[in-house]
Amino acid sequence: MKLPLSRAHLAIPVAFLLFLGCLLPLILLLVFSVFTVDMDAFVMVPAFSPQAWAQMLTKPVFAFLIGKAVMFGLGTAVLAAFAGYPVALAIASLAPAWKGIASVILLTPLYTGEIVRIYAWRIVLGSEGLVNTLLMWLGVIHAPLKFLLFTPFTTHLVLLYNTLPFMVLPIWLSIELVDRRLIEAARDLGARPLHAFLRVTLPLTTPGLSVGLFAVFALAAGDMLTPSLLGGPSGVTPMSMIDNLFGTAFDWPLASALSLSLLLVLLACATVMSWLVLRLKGARAVFRGGMR
Amino acid sequence: MAFTMTRRNALATMAGGAAAGLLGRAGTASAAVPEMVWATWDSNGHPEYVVPFQKDTGTTIKLSYLSSEDAQFAALKTGSAADWDMINPSLNGSWRYIKAGLLKKLDLSQIPNVAKMYDVFRTTKKVQNDAGDTFAIPYLWGLNPIVYRTDKLDKEPDYTTLFDKKYAGQLAMRDYALESIAIAGLVVGVPRDKVFTMDAKELAEAKKLLITQKPLLRAYWQTIGDLTNLFATGEVTCAFSWRVPYDELQGKMAMGMAKPKAGVMGWCDCFAMPASLPDDKAAVAYKFIDYLLGPTYSSLVAKIGHYATTSSVIRDQLSKEEQATIFIDDMDVMKSFMWPVAPDNYSDWLKIWNEVKAS
Repeated sequence: MKLPLSRAHLAIPVAFLLFLGCLLPLILLLVFSVFTVDMDAFVMVPAFSPQAWAQMLTKPVFAFLIGKAVMFGLGTAVLAAFAGYPVALAIASLAPAWKGIASVILLTPLYTGEIVRIYAWRIVLGSEGLVNTLLMWLGVIHAPLKFLLFTPFTTHLVLLYNTLPFMVLPIWLSIELVDRRLIEAARDLGARPLHAFLRVTLPLTTPGLSVGLFAVFALAAGDMLTPSLLGGPSGVTPMSMIDNLFGTAFDWPLASALSLSLLLVLLACATVMSWLVLRLKGARAVFRGGMR
Repeated sequence: MAFTMTRRNALATMAGGAAAGLLGRAGTASAAVPEMVWATWDSNGHPEYVVPFQKDTGTTIKLSYLSSEDAQFAALKTGSAADWDMINPSLNGSWRYIKAGLLKKLDLSQIPNVAKMYDVFRTTKKVQNDAGDTFAIPYLWGLNPIVYRTDKLDKEPDYTTLFDKKYAGQLAMRDYALESIAIAGLVVGVPRDKVFTMDAKELAEAKKLLITQKPLLRAYWQTIGDLTNLFATGEVTCAFSWRVPYDELQGKMAMGMAKPKAGVMGWCDCFAMPASLPDDKAAVAYKFIDYLLGPTYSSLVAKIGHYATTSSVIRDQLSKEEQATIFIDDMDVMKSFMWPVAPDNYSDWLKIWNEVKAS
C-alpha cells in the first residue's frame, strides 16, 4: 500500500518539536504573566491580573535593560560584519588545504568552554594581566588601564570575539558560491577592484552576511554569562534579570512578562533587519529564486 | 585456647553482638545509598571534609555548591533541585523553608551529637514550626567581615569605606540583596536593630546610596572563589566578604580583616533535608548531620576553613589561639553580631536590589 505522503510531510516531526519546545513554553509564559504570587505561601495564584504587565510598562528599568540587550546585539552584529567580512574574503582566497586549517583555527575558540574563555580574558585584560603588564613594560602606560576589564568595553570585545565565527562562516560560504566570471566580467568592463566588490561580490554575498547578522544579533542580545562575569557592575542584562526573577525573587509573572517583552522587541528588531536586507538586490535575488 | 564464660565476657559478647547488628544495619543502609548530594557553600563542603564520612559509610557525598541562599530557596521551591538530598538553609532564613513546606521534620533522637551543641543553637526556635517540631539543625557559624589589602588602604576600613570615592574601582560588594541593602541602611544611619525591618523611606535612602556606590565598584561577587580570585589578581583591594580570601591569601599578600563597629554580620548555617527525601536516604542524612556535629568535621573545618561548628565537642582540645581564630575563645562575641533576617517584605528588597544593579 502506498502511503499518501509528500516530502512536506517530512517536516511534521520537526514542526511538532518546534511546537513543544517553542510555542508551548511561550503560551505558558503568557498565562503565567497574568498570574499573581502569594508571597506568604510562596505559590503562584491563577488569576487574570495586569500587575506584572503594569510593572513592565511603568518601571523604566525594564525598558532600559531591553534597550541594552538590543544595543549589545546590534552593536556586536555590525562590528562582527566589519571584522568578519575581510576574514571570510581572506579564507576564500586560500588554497584548499589552507582553507581547512583556517576553518579549524576559526572554530578553535568554540571548542573551549565559555567559562574557560571568560577566565582567560580576565587573565589577558586584568589589572595585572597580559596587556597591562606588556604596556607597562614597554613604558606606554604607568598605571594599569582599568577600562579593559569589568566595563561595557570588555563585554563588547568578548561578545565580538565569541560570535565572530558565526559571521565569518556564512559569508565565507557565500563567497565560495559567487561565480568568479562575474567579477572578471566587471573588471573587463572597466570596474575598479573596490567597485567590482561593491557592485558584484557584496550583493551576491548578502545572504551569507544576513545569516551572520541575524545569528550574531541573537547570540549577543541573549548572552548572559559574558556580561555577568566580565561586565563588572554594569553586567546586568535582561537575561540575568529574568533568571533572578524566576529563581531568587520567585516572581514568575514578572519574569514571564519580561521574557515575552524581550522576545517581542528582539523579533521586531529582526523584522526590521529582514526588511532592510530585502531592500538589497542580492538578498532579493535569493528569496525570488535567482538574480533578475 | 581455653575460654571461660564470665559475667564480663557475657556482657561484652552481647554488647559486641548488638554493635555488630547495628553496624550491620548501618552498613546495609549506607550501601543501599551509594551517593548523597549535599547542597552547601563551597567553604562548608571542601571535598576533604567529607572523606572520613565516605570511608566510614561507603556513601559518596557529592557536593553541589550554592551561589546564594535565595537561589537555594528558589531551586527547592521550583523543583529544579530534585537531586539535592541534604540542603543548607541559614538559621535566620529557615522560617521561609518551613513555611513553604520544603523541609522534612527531623527526629532528634537519631542525632546523638545534638546534645553537644552550644545552648544558643540547640534551643533556638528559629528552626521550628509553631508546633515546636524541628526542621533544621544549626551546624556552622561565623562572621562576615570586610576583607582588605593592608598595603593599599591607609586605615582599617568600615562600612563607609565601601562607599568612599577615594577607593573607586577597587571595591566589591556581594551580589546579595539582604546584606548589601542592610549595609547601606547602616551607612545612612538606620539603627542596627532596625536594619532588617527598614520602612519604605529608609529603603529608598539605602537604594539611593547603593546606586551612588555602583560606579565605585569593580564587581559584584557571586561566589567566594570568584572574590578570592579578584583579590589575588589585584582587581579588588577591599570588599564586604567572607573570611575565605583572608585565609587563602594571607602570606601571599598583605591581607587584613575588619569587623566594623557598626555591627558585624553573623551567619549560621543549618543542615536540613528536603521534605520529599526517601527514608533510606534520610537514614544516611541523619548519620551525616551527626558527623557534622562530631569531632572529625569540627576539627577539619576549624583547622582548614577556620570556622566553628555549633558543637562544643572539640573546643577544649584547641589552643587559646586556635579558639580565637574561630571566635570561640569568648562566646559573648555572638552578642555583638547582627543576624541577617529575611524580612516579610523581602520581595521589595529583591526588587530594589535588581533596580540598583540595573541602574
